[in-house]
Amino acid sequence: MNVLVINAGSSSLKYQLYEMTSEKVLAKGRVERIGMESSILTHEVEGQPEVREVSEILEHTSAVRKVLDMLTHRDFGVLRDAADIQAVGHRIVHGGESFRESVLIDADVKREIRRLFDLAPLHNPAHMMGIAAVEANLPDVPQAVVFDTAFHQTMPPTSYLYAIPTVLYRKHKIRRYGFHGTSHDYVSQQAAAFLGRPLEELKIVSCHIGNGASCTAILHGKSYDTSMGMTPLEGLMMGTRSGDLDPAVVPYAMTKEDLTLNEVNSMLNKHSGLLAVSGISSDMREVVQAMEEGNESAKLAFDMYAYRIRKYVGAYAAAMNGIDALLFTAGVGENSAPLRRRVCEGLTFLGLELDAARNEASGGGTRRISADGSRVEALVVPTNEELLIARDTYRLARGAAARQADGQA
Amino acid sequence: MFRKIGVVGAGTMGQGIAEMLAAKGLDVHLTEKTPERLKTAQEAIEFSLERQIERWAITQAEKKVILSRIHPEPSLELLAPCDLVIETISEDLDGKLAVFRQLDAILPEKTILASNTSTLSLTELAGATRRPERVIGMHFVYPAVRIDVVEIIRGLQTSEETFRQTKDFIERVLEKKGVMVYESPGFVTTRLVCLLINEALHLLEEGVASAEDIDTSMRIGYQFQHGPLEMADRFGLDAVLAALERMFREYGELKYRPSILLKKKVRAGQLGAKTGVGFFSYDKDGDRVS
Repeated sequence: MNVLVINAGSSSLKYQLYEMTSEKVLAKGRVERIGMESSILTHEVEGQPEVREVSEILEHTSAVRKVLDMLTHRDFGVLRDAADIQAVGHRIVHGGESFRESVLIDADVKREIRRLFDLAPLHNPAHMMGIAAVEANLPDVPQAVVFDTAFHQTMPPTSYLYAIPTVLYRKHKIRRYGFHGTSHDYVSQQAAAFLGRPLEELKIVSCHIGNGASCTAILHGKSYDTSMGMTPLEGLMMGTRSGDLDPAVVPYAMTKEDLTLNEVNSMLNKHSGLLAVSGISSDMREVVQAMEEGNESAKLAFDMYAYRIRKYVGAYAAAMNGIDALLFTAGVGENSAPLRRRVCEGLTFLGLELDAARNEASGGGTRRISADGSRVEALVVPTNEELLIARDTYRLARGAAARQADGQA
Repeated sequence: MFRKIGVVGAGTMGQGIAEMLAAKGLDVHLTEKTPERLKTAQEAIEFSLERQIERWAITQAEKKVILSRIHPEPSLELLAPCDLVIETISEDLDGKLAVFRQLDAILPEKTILASNTSTLSLTELAGATRRPERVIGMHFVYPAVRIDVVEIIRGLQTSEETFRQTKDFIERVLEKKGVMVYESPGFVTTRLVCLLINEALHLLEEGVASAEDIDTSMRIGYQFQHGPLEMADRFGLDAVLAALERMFREYGELKYRPSILLKKKVRAGQLGAKTGVGFFSYDKDGDRVS
């Protein structure tokens, strides 16, 4: 079975085509600048040079049509016919409280995703355009939606409620939802398999550290607490996001600097974090390089960044009354040895002993960076959200097909 | 839906409208009378974007993208491929009539022609074209980037379809609230705010309160961001005077008669924030210094 995974943004659309028996990526690519005269489609097939095509793509339906044309292209394609795509999976940022797991799309699901537009005004409407675009092009193919928030729906109210008047929760659903759920879910499963221990017996803290960053306490395979909140702004310090902040800072800064809501929002999301403190970049590699060259603000930014991760690891170890494994994943987590070292150095009290050489060594796949005999395992686990979306889609589509066959029998 | 927008006239309003449209992801084709003015306008837009970066509203990358969407066009003919053209030259009937005649000859019949006029007759402007049903008013409130309401003005012959398309565009693409207004000098916003300003000037003339205290009372008392006198400074006292005179002529009612103080200030060239002095003083960035 071939599954197409789609991540639709407001002016972009990323795709990966999986063959599910081998879980192999047949092709992947992205469409950028949708809505403009010079949209760019980039298409990659393993072992072949990348293909780039510039054309006018005004909306998502044409974008999906272009992708299908490319997948079935005489020279660059990997499929004979678009009908060889048996299911499509979409990444959806916000599933609110309605979705605890991935589901197949029907009219109710679409209505519910639309109802959640208010909670994720930048993302969900774009995802919805992606769904409609696939529907228009492949009307008979089952589609599934996989939510960034779903994994965290197991959190208890002690973790997800904010200590503010509860009417705000009841009326507007203001609470912690958490994000990167697909990634936290995937890496915790990978880690359990790597360690050869059942996930149901493990206390894991996973750190998804990329452009956005979040920490999750995974107790016996279920999200128990996570650092991102109602929006992806809360929690760890990030590339350009502030993370945790005294909420009183917001009205104070607005008054002092005469800022509008839009400006203060943009300040916290796009002008803060590593970028603001280092004054150099939002990219960890550049900050580390500047720090090694003796730049003081880069060092401060790096130290703050690592310190906040360490605080969360400590807090979540306390939340679960223990920790068996600490996981690092995503761009920075998988690639920045200096950051992992700085985080782990201060966690020896938990019984975590880092192996310096293993930490520095590069390599693909899940790998151990803690020393032999360390009471807490530290692992680097490359994340693969697309694969998890493909797997969920595959499972749901197959289940539906089987039910249909039963019905006919 | 409109994607390519022509903006005719790159004064204060034209710059703001062009910047706002580009920030919303639209391709903007901007024209001015002379290449020098066009260049000045581009520099002003860039300066405004720099100011927004300082206020954390946008990033360097966003500034670049926004600027890349604003295409300076040396002549009106080049607006022919636009889906919508917004005229925003200075508030002068003969000037606007001339522009409308020219645009009517250049643009395909289906293109909608909008004017940002605040006091002139839409019906009269529409009369200069062969497409009166596709002429409409789009009155943005200054500063267009920040203020999220647009008065949509229906001239006598504006069609339902033109109105609907314009309202859809304003609400869905520009994400601003569109209010429907029938043609009448000053519409809602200009008529009310100019009367408020004029009355504040009378208070000042009569020595009832100081400029500072008049503004403070209204700012705190009725939650205005700026008091009426600072508002006048920011609009430009010449623009306020022109609007009042226009309404005075059209309605013939004494309440629109511009205060003598306003006339004196304009004659002295103290036009408000843009000249540094009005009722208060401003630095070159337009921030209040006293």
